Amino acid sequence: MNKDLYAVALKNALTEIMNICPDVRRSFIFAKDGAIVARVSETDEETTEKMISAFQSIAEKADAIGSLKAFYVNGKKGKVILSSVNDMYLALAASENADTTYLHSVTRVIIPTVLKLLETITPTPLQLAPSKQLVVDTLSGFFVGDSVQIDTKILEEWAELLNQKGISEVEIEAFGGKATQCRVKEINDSKLKGKGMIRIPEKVCKTLEVKKGELVKVKPAST
Amino acid sequence: MSAKNKSKNNVENVQEKLQSIKDREGIIGYILRGPNSASIDLKDPTKIIDYAVLSATAFEAGQDISAMFEIGEVDSIITEGEDTKILSRVVNEHRLSIFMEKNVDHNKLCKDLNLT
Repeated sequence: MNKDLYAVALKNALTEIMNICPDVRRSFIFAKDGAIVARVSETDEETTEKMISAFQSIAEKADAIGSLKAFYVNGKKGKVILSSVNDMYLALAASENADTTYLHSVTRVIIPTVLKLLETITPTPLQLAPSKQLVVDTLSGFFVGDSVQIDTKILEEWAELLNQKGISEVEIEAFGGKATQCRVKEINDSKLKGKGMIRIPEKVCKTLEVKKGELVKVKPAST
Repeated sequence: MSAKNKSKNNVENVQEKLQSIKDREGIIGYILRGPNSASIDLKDPTKIIDYAVLSATAFEAGQDISAMFEIGEVDSIITEGEDTKILSRVVNEHRLSIFMEKNVDHNKLCKDLNLT
């Protein structure tokens, strides 16, 4: 899984844990080499780094008890839990009233489950229909409306790619950089079919700053 | 009774109780370190140095972490390994580390030692 997505998913999980249990003040996840994998904003960088350094100093000397699995510090005003989760460590700082059973569920069940899920899930790539370069033909007259017209074949191709019944809107981008989104219909003039054209109302042409015969990039609008 | 004598009595009480719990199932041993002396009783004497270093590091790290996260004076520190854990507590000016198997209830142990 993409590292950024992984970090975002873990950060969201930590945020939700803090939302559910307000007694948890700070939380972050770091790798064995000390690299921070996910951290919620309340935890400042300096504290995080010092904490990791303190933890690593114990981990280095923990061979006598097997590898270090967890480290708990219970203070008069709160508690800190550092727990091994797969190849990473979860750090949680909570107030003295925090429910210990809940904290143990978080460290031993919730976060390991999230990590396991993230490791087994492969995100489905977004289905992106390729944009087409089409030649502009202008539509003029009182009744042209705001819709553009494109070949039926192209619309059917996009619909199939996106697993949709049909395409109702498209994004048009001129090479000058102007872009807009319009409703789309099939080309109704049989002479213009199959020629790689897009018929655009004059008003929309002005918006895009394009003229008849120029090329524009067109793709289905994301829904 | 002066504070110093009271403290001495507390430590002596703990030492007596440590003698009574050291043969319990799952207890590996203990290190009680004072400013000038230390009592060590471990089932495997070859591990004395490793355990002493680890227990000292755990105290230091625990106190550093407590300061960083502002959780106040440290009551207890638990260091968990694969099969073994260490309960670390300060008893007056002495640092007590009890080594035990992971399945031992350290909260009950604290009660039995009057450390709660």
